Amino acid sequence: AYIANRVTDKLTPVHDRIFCCRSGSAADTQAVADAVAYQLAFHSVELEEPPRVRTAARLFQQSCYRYREELSAGIIVAGWDPRRGGQVYVVPMGGLLLRQPFAVGGSGSSYIYGFLDATFQPGMSRSQCQEFVARALALAMVRDGSSGGVIRLAAITEEGVERTVLAGSDLPWGDGGPPA
Amino acid sequence: MEVGAAPPPFWAGGPAPGQTKLGSGPGKPGSGPVRGGSGCGRSPMVTGTSVLGLKFRGGVMLAADTVGSYGSLARFRGVSRLLKVNDSTVLGASGDLADFQHLRQLLEQMVIDEELLGDGHSYSPRALHSWLTRVLYSRRSKINPLWNTVLIAGVYGGHSFLGYVDMLGVAYEAPSLATGFGAYLAQPLLRAALERDRDRDRDQDQLPTREEARELLERCLRVLYYRDARSFNRYEVAVVTEKGVELEGPLTLEANWDIAHAV
Repeated sequence: AYIANRVTDKLTPVHDRIFCCRSGSAADTQAVADAVAYQLAFHSVELEEPPRVRTAARLFQQSCYRYREELSAGIIVAGWDPRRGGQVYVVPMGGLLLRQPFAVGGSGSSYIYGFLDATFQPGMSRSQCQEFVARALALAMVRDGSSGGVIRLAAITEEGVERTVLAGSDLPWGDGGPPA
Repeated sequence: MEVGAAPPPFWAGGPAPGQTKLGSGPGKPGSGPVRGGSGCGRSPMVTGTSVLGLKFRGGVMLAADTVGSYGSLARFRGVSRLLKVNDSTVLGASGDLADFQHLRQLLEQMVIDEELLGDGHSYSPRALHSWLTRVLYSRRSKINPLWNTVLIAGVYGGHSFLGYVDMLGVAYEAPSLATGFGAYLAQPLLRAALERDRDRDRDQDQLPTREEARELLERCLRVLYYRDARSFNRYEVAVVTEKGVELEGPLTLEANWDIAHAV
């Protein structure tokens, strides 16, 4: 199976402090994300304040549910807003909307549910979270043939968004994952 | 109408006979949609399993576990499938949870609109059951069903109500009900208990007490946890009485694995 882009950026901003993580059809998720980004921009101008993460998630859900037959899109919406701070919402295929302490999606996620269940703790610090996420992704990337390349992280706080890339030797166990 | 002319549409906005691309039914989640357009068979994605309902002396109660399954994966383990509609009614849904959320939005808006009328009336459980039946049947008739099986429970005007509606618009009432796997495993247990009560020399109510009903539902949920591969051991219970609605949970079931040592 051909890898069209080995350095894809699946973390797409829909507003200053709200990102979405796209899985499924790239075309479908890009189209929906573009539409939601437009709606949010409009909405935040009307509101005269930063939009809520929940609103962004709801907008995703409305498209994903209405067009559920036509779309193949699994989306995670995450960000920061002044009302509720950091939040994670998941809009899986089918168009359900759920808030969670953490969320995973995509084909590689199947392989790490065990790791996540065993390792997640509520109330982790920023660096602990980043390590947790990086390790989870690295494990999925090793085992899932449809996953790989680089890890992109985006830490979203009141202060702003800090994006990092982990590539090659930066990955938790280096290129190729834990020793076989 | 001339011979060979296409038949007129069933009704405005509905499918024309023979013109609808019928889907192959529920496929594996993740297999991706291929069909497009409205009026095609949809497949459920994230689903809930059994919902149980039982009348008792003084009211009705519903129980359901809190998992949203993505095929065989127990993907979302903290989902509530019981909904308090108003002070006299609760609803429990199995099937596609995105469709349940859609139903929930419709119902919540209906209840708000009704409050705004300010005439002191609220939807009775029977009225909601009837409305849901029409909605689900209408959607099925457009070959675009809401993929849910729903139990409605409530107390109104001193009478308790327990009803069932499924995605085809099939609707009925009974003193005990169960959806999904529960229909095979739990319903016989519920009915046996009710028949025992009927045979005993009791007051005309012929229903279990609240405590007995609560225990019975828990026992049924445990059996379902043992035998339904898509179930989970965390659950919620909704109890409706004249006083109103009480939502308990999430609670955890204790399972007994003693027999493992006998093998």
